[in-house]
Amino acid sequence: MMQTTMLSDEEAEEMLSFLTLEARADLKGQATEHILGITGTKDGCRYLRGRPDFLRALLTLTRDHSIAIVKDCYHALVNLSADETLHQALLKDANVLPTLFRNLQDPDYDFADRICTILSNLSRHKKTCKEVFRVLQEEEIGLAKIVEIFCSEGYNNKAPLHYLGPLLSNLTQLPEARQFILDKERCVVQRLLPYTQYGDSTVRRGGVVGTLRNCCFDYSHHEWLLSDAVDILPFLLLPLAGPEELTEEENEGLPVDLQYLPEDKKREEDPDIRKMLIETMLLLTATKAGRQILDKKNAYAIMREFHNWEREPPVVAACEKLVQVLIGDEPESGMENLLEVDIPEDVEVKLKDMDEKEQEQLEREKEELLKSESENKENESTPPDGLSS
Amino acid sequence: MASQVQDDSDDGMGDFMDKFRKQKYEGAFKEDNWEEEFDKVPMFMKTAPEEIDPKTHPDLACLQSIIHDDDRPPEEQARTFKDEGNDYFKEKKYKRAILSYTEGLKKKCCDSELNAILHTNRAAAHFHLGNMRSSFNDAVAAKKLKPDHLKALLRGAQCCMEFRNYGEALQWCEEGLRIQPADRKLLDLRASADKLKRAAERDARKAKAKGKKDRTKRGALLGAIRERGIKLLKPERSSKHSSDSEEEGRDRGTAAAMAGMNLDGLGSQEATGATVFLDEQGTLHWPVLFLYPEHRQTDFISAFSESACFLDHLTVMFGEELPSWDTDRKYHPQNLQLYFENFKTEELHQVDLKTPLLKILQHDRCFVKSGTPSIIILVKGSAFCKEFLSGKKVYRLK
Repeated sequence: MMQTTMLSDEEAEEMLSFLTLEARADLKGQATEHILGITGTKDGCRYLRGRPDFLRALLTLTRDHSIAIVKDCYHALVNLSADETLHQALLKDANVLPTLFRNLQDPDYDFADRICTILSNLSRHKKTCKEVFRVLQEEEIGLAKIVEIFCSEGYNNKAPLHYLGPLLSNLTQLPEARQFILDKERCVVQRLLPYTQYGDSTVRRGGVVGTLRNCCFDYSHHEWLLSDAVDILPFLLLPLAGPEELTEEENEGLPVDLQYLPEDKKREEDPDIRKMLIETMLLLTATKAGRQILDKKNAYAIMREFHNWEREPPVVAACEKLVQVLIGDEPESGMENLLEVDIPEDVEVKLKDMDEKEQEQLEREKEELLKSESENKENESTPPDGLSS
Repeated sequence: MASQVQDDSDDGMGDFMDKFRKQKYEGAFKEDNWEEEFDKVPMFMKTAPEEIDPKTHPDLACLQSIIHDDDRPPEEQARTFKDEGNDYFKEKKYKRAILSYTEGLKKKCCDSELNAILHTNRAAAHFHLGNMRSSFNDAVAAKKLKPDHLKALLRGAQCCMEFRNYGEALQWCEEGLRIQPADRKLLDLRASADKLKRAAERDARKAKAKGKKDRTKRGALLGAIRERGIKLLKPERSSKHSSDSEEEGRDRGTAAAMAGMNLDGLGSQEATGATVFLDEQGTLHWPVLFLYPEHRQTDFISAFSESACFLDHLTVMFGEELPSWDTDRKYHPQNLQLYFENFKTEELHQVDLKTPLLKILQHDRCFVKSGTPSIIILVKGSAFCKEFLSGKKVYRLK
């Protein structure tokens, strides 16, 4: 096994000659492994940023006959895509997108999941995301096809394609992507809604909830989203609803999907997703119409029970914010759209101050929580999805 | 003038023209029935006859045979049948339309699109006649021939809606929307199917919750009765009960531990519909029958609390006004004697008016029949009372 150090120019040339489809299998395999090793380190990635020829070679070798080699290539590409500084090189110099989108569409493609991860990484930051979306819509399969693939159970029986969720979530940072998802003349966002309850994959669920939250930033769509045409509210509340029995009166006041839930009903297990769901609903309370609908549909009953159950401080805080809006009085006229209210400067400073203090408090509580947990448990961070070699 | 035409042509035109001039035209309309005859000319018909009889409508029959000439290629024939069917369809003659489409399909031509259309149109005709199954089968067939045929997909979805199969309706809609994402009809139908599906799911959950609640309630009730040591009398097996045997079996499962009691023991055979119940404080309330054998009268208290005694009720019932049947005006509470009957032995046990109902029911010879305790009421010392009690084993109060 060769050492993972940077290559001299001669070494690089030699290696490059092995990284072709026609090269001898064992040399090809070793070279690919070596490159993979390089992508495992930050310095390695930076080095490859200046070597578009290697990037192109990796892409070409994804067509190789040897599954092991293709696997390593995709592995390497995933690592590279996790580094933001590589994005321009991957898109412009290596031109990975057309190949990736084409293969994604193939229902028999073994490495479709890897592609989803790469695309998800590439769309994380707005600048590259814009380019990804542009290529997707103008030159390749289009967002409609992505949604269709995402919503087709068993589209690819070798790859569950859950990472299309985060991809959608990332793409909806862009208003042009949101516009497509929220097209009233089509049925797009409606098809995503049931996935807020998709038990088999946190990634898929999280991606969908992230998408919905992004879509709620434009309050011009709120009334439509809350209307029967889409009916987003039950899908946001359902993961937060529990098995607690409510009175018949309370039940009858709830949206249909939340009535008479069975006693084995489980709540969303990921606290980040729970928080996102609440944040989405908070966004929907920005307008008076939205507040009225949430009130009418008895969202309060669900959040009340949720509040009794939730233990994670940041989620409790979000819940309390939402409940406050739900049970609070209607703001005076002129304040009806909370997103548009002009906050006087001194108040704004005060609020920022309070927010910071709250943040500090939450950090402290979080630390205490972590400390009290078992010492053996490792602190899990969530970096962009890269696979270490 | 025409008569001056040179008659040197070979085509016989000249002779024909001569004949024309000399002979009277036989086929002319007559004055008295020219309107009828007019209607028979295919070009001037206002409506086509139901059946085309070559004898009465020779021209029409002739035209028809040209149209349905079997020498033409099958595609053409099928197409003609399709058009015919469509015409009938427009006139809302759905049965005839179906026949035409069927004939078209029988030609088994190679044009899949045409066959898909024939199936789809026949599906529509069936739909309008209410033959949902047939309509659906045609939609499926059309879809098989041409998977992107939107009208077939829409029809299939509509049929599923009629079957209340909302999940499948959704699938048909979504297939259609994949081809035509902005189709208003499909979008609306999909929204409708989705809504109904979710409502149906709610209804199922609600029914399940209610069923569970009912079972829990019944379990608690039977438990309360058993705790108190009250014995329910098993009714005789009748044919009515054997048909309920499945439900009995289930209930018997829960009641099996409850010393042989079952829910039939609680079924009130009185036409009152009242049954024993457990209130929120944990007190039982029984429907109780008051029997006055002397006058062959009965009274009924639908919710007699187990902590109350008969005197409480009798004071009210025979308080200010005595009942009209009490002709001798002797049914004052202080004059009354109460007995319950041991159904097995026909023995009578006297009951103290001041004893709470619970204690009475707990008597080891007391069995509650049909979930309704019954009490016999006699007037102390009356002739009837003496006669009633004679010949029976009576256990009096000390």
